[in-house]
Amino acid sequence: MMLSVEALKIRYGEVEAVRRVDLAVDSGEIIALVGANGAGKSSTLGAIAGLVPAVSGKVVFDGVDITGLAPEAIARKGVSLVPEGRRIFAGLTVADNLRLGGAVHLSASEARAREEEMLELFPILRRYHRVKGGNLSGGEQQMLAIARALMGKPRMVLLDEPSLGLAPQLIDTVFDLIAELRRNGLTILLVEQNVALALEIADRAIVLANGEVVLSGTAKELATSDLVRQAYLGA
Amino acid sequence: MIAQQIINAVSLGGVYALLALGLAIVFSIVGLINFAHGELMTLSGYALLAALVFGLPFPAAVLVAVSCGALAAVAMERVAFRPMRGASVTSLLLTSFAVSSLLKVVFQNGISARPQAVAMPDWMTGAFSFGDFTIGVGPSISIVVSALALIALELFLRRSVTGTAMRAAAEDFNVVRLMGIPASRIIATAFLLSGLLAGLAAMLWVAQRASVDPLMGFTPVLKAFIAAVVGGLGSLPGAVAGGFLLGIIEVLLQATLPAAVAPYRDAIVLSGVIAVLLVRPQGLIPAVRVQRS
Repeated sequence: MMLSVEALKIRYGEVEAVRRVDLAVDSGEIIALVGANGAGKSSTLGAIAGLVPAVSGKVVFDGVDITGLAPEAIARKGVSLVPEGRRIFAGLTVADNLRLGGAVHLSASEARAREEEMLELFPILRRYHRVKGGNLSGGEQQMLAIARALMGKPRMVLLDEPSLGLAPQLIDTVFDLIAELRRNGLTILLVEQNVALALEIADRAIVLANGEVVLSGTAKELATSDLVRQAYLGA
Repeated sequence: MIAQQIINAVSLGGVYALLALGLAIVFSIVGLINFAHGELMTLSGYALLAALVFGLPFPAAVLVAVSCGALAAVAMERVAFRPMRGASVTSLLLTSFAVSSLLKVVFQNGISARPQAVAMPDWMTGAFSFGDFTIGVGPSISIVVSALALIALELFLRRSVTGTAMRAAAEDFNVVRLMGIPASRIIATAFLLSGLLAGLAAMLWVAQRASVDPLMGFTPVLKAFIAAVVGGLGSLPGAVAGGFLLGIIEVLLQATLPAAVAPYRDAIVLSGVIAVLLVRPQGLIPAVRVQRS
């Protein structure tokens, strides 16, 4: 098991965003964390990455307790979050965005080689290499955000709503890419509001509602479950 | 006469620009307006005095003084501001006032409340002559030093990884941390740069006045703060533009105002500042976006 989250609880002031979340991710799989707006998905990812403090509970990565570590320390252990809304550095060029992604993880020559790999994987970024991130379209920014997170050769990627605000055709491109990353052996925890899409790509899925796990199983099981079909797939 | 005034104007503007940049760099990263910035200047001034008294040659003394400013800024962050990380803007502001007052009292009681003369080398007070023009060596050096410092800073921010991370941190600090880049390193570098710039500004300031006193940093940093606000708080190009603008306007008013109106120079300058802010509330060159951790 690569990542495990036990009895995670998160509170923002009086509001309990996450009541209790337990989950485990094995090496090389895609786990989808699905649920409605405000179910606690992003907060869970934030707590794993160290951006959101947990009230209680435990996050273990590779057998090491990373609960309460600073985000930079968790990133150095090989966990990389692609945050919701992409949050690329708008004033920096595509090249500089990528450079920062590998800044602490790679030597200068490794970083150049890795950047070349990223430009192979995302040809659009080669075309806009010297363009400021803020001038890219939403889909291009999403590619850049993913490439930036991959620059440091993370062992696990946390993807927060990669389809948000993208045109349907671009969503397919992004999800094809996620599937390819997984084929290359990357472990992925995917948060997605588009449940049908998430279940198509994931190995297993966890359904959150009101800050609690209400259902979990293989993606196939969930796609055919009555609860998921009624509540999220509109069948 | 006019050439001399222009040199003076650009030279004063350069000093304001260095100080305003120091304030802007720290503000863009931590959201703190460091009112103890002036004391970094004063401290560098005293360090220069001490180094010269100990008999160091002038260039070595300047190096020591500027390094003292930079190290003091890093120490200030470590001792006073790091424990306050994540505190409200008001708490940070009050902390910087406290540091400022404390250092002033230390200077007054530990050294002297009266100005101390600094023996500047003779060649600095000389002047070049080109036909009818006479240009002071001091202001000319000041312009060259400011220009070199601005170019060096620009290169650092554009070319180096840490500089790039600082530009990114001014936009979105948390995402920089998600890249594995330590917050402490970014913040310490911001203070180091602001201290370096304050140290350089102090050298240029002392060179024109040949004395150091405990309140030395107050007026120039107040002006630099105004320059940073006019330029767009947290915007580095704005700080430079604001600094030069303020310096040039001050000197030109000084030179052209009739004697009866001259005492109102600062009032006229500040009215100009208000006018600028009425038209452009975000400053001349607004900061892109400031998101704090």
